[in-house]
Amino acid sequence: MSVLRPLDKQPGLNTATILLVGTEDALLQQLADSMLKEDCASELKVFSFFSHLARSLPLPSNVNRPRIDLIMFVVNLHSKYSLRNVEESLRHVDATFFLGKVGFLATGAGRESHCSVHRSTVVRLARTYRSPLLFCDPEVDGFRAPVAQRLVRMLQICAGHVPGVSALNLLSLLRSSENPTLEDL
Amino acid sequence: MSVNQQDLDPDSTTDMEDVTNAEEELIKECEEMWKDMEECQKKLSLVGTETLTDSNAQPSLLIMQAKCLTAELSQWQKESPEIIPLNEEVLVTLGKEEFQKLRHDLELVLSTIQSKNEKLKEDLEREQQWFNEQQQILESLNVLHNELKHQVVTFSESRIFSELKTKMHDIKEYKEKLLVTLGEFLEDHFPLPDRNVKKKKKKKNIQESTVQLITLHEMLEILLNRLFDVPHDPYVKISDSFWPPYIELLLRNGIALRHPEDPTRIRLEAFHQ
Repeated sequence: MSVLRPLDKQPGLNTATILLVGTEDALLQQLADSMLKEDCASELKVFSFFSHLARSLPLPSNVNRPRIDLIMFVVNLHSKYSLRNVEESLRHVDATFFLGKVGFLATGAGRESHCSVHRSTVVRLARTYRSPLLFCDPEVDGFRAPVAQRLVRMLQICAGHVPGVSALNLLSLLRSSENPTLEDL
Repeated sequence: MSVNQQDLDPDSTTDMEDVTNAEEELIKECEEMWKDMEECQKKLSLVGTETLTDSNAQPSLLIMQAKCLTAELSQWQKESPEIIPLNEEVLVTLGKEEFQKLRHDLELVLSTIQSKNEKLKEDLEREQQWFNEQQQILESLNVLHNELKHQVVTFSESRIFSELKTKMHDIKEYKEKLLVTLGEFLEDHFPLPDRNVKKKKKKKNIQESTVQLITLHEMLEILLNRLFDVPHDPYVKISDSFWPPYIELLLRNGIALRHPEDPTRIRLEAFHQ
């Protein structure tokens, strides 16, 4: 089994790559498109980033792909299958990735009645792997853009394009609900 | 790669050697950094991989994070900030950028403040108008108040009391006068038939009543008193002391009314209602 490793290749010039792992292609495609629409022109740099949409890891090793800077595991709260898929894929990721270069994205939390996966499951998963958890409803236009913005920003930091902030720094800064007593209750 | 990438155009036709010098310097620095990176990359590729399972994820990750953070910390402490080569070109470009940013921010601030100003002006105008209106209202009220002041008579309870007393007294007097006049009028024009009978009739009337007749005045008094004493039953039984022609007179002129069911009872018409 090939394991995905961070920093296994030289970085491209002015590029950052994000890998979206999830079972629903349409969702991932939407997210990828809105991320591409985000222009980082405010910093006078135009990023071209390749968002690889993968159903599950391991990725086929014959694909000539650039260095992955950020992996987002997309879990759809409406299907247990996507959760299982993500859990499977987690086994193919090198441990060093989890130092800030991995994130979980939970979709479909808006429609409670359709949720077959409970929110706390995803929260626990994110906590186990010490990674940030984001919520998103990509169908609603208004929600997609801010999440895309956040992802782009995270990606920038993980690719090292923001001077002075490393992925691990960001991770430490993102911890909000760190109180173990509350979560263990 | 914290250096701002300048336009590396090797075909630049500027004759300024300083420019090319600056560029070359930057390029050299970048190349050195790239070489360092390649070395680090080689070292990294030698490090083995490990995957996590759910059970050992949290503790191992925590340990790893702690180690990496301490490493980063020590690195930051060791490092001293590197400055990019400060030659004219670079400084000028950087300066321009900073000024652009500053100008942009200031423009934003300016526009915000201008719009705030306008809003405040509008508010001020509105308040001013309201204030003027209030002033006008106050003035007119003052005028009204002054006018009314003159019309107010000093209020004294005793005065009112004495006024009422005099009124009552006047009314009582008037009532007395009315009654007296009424009595006189009735005596003059509606006398009892005793004298008439005595004067006219010489032959004896078999039906001569032995009851003492009462004057019309007295009849009216009886009716009046009954009306005011017992308002829900103002009917008076016709007694023999009532002279029948006078009863007829009262009835025909609408001064008295018969009881609707009992012909022997009459009442005074309620003129006051």
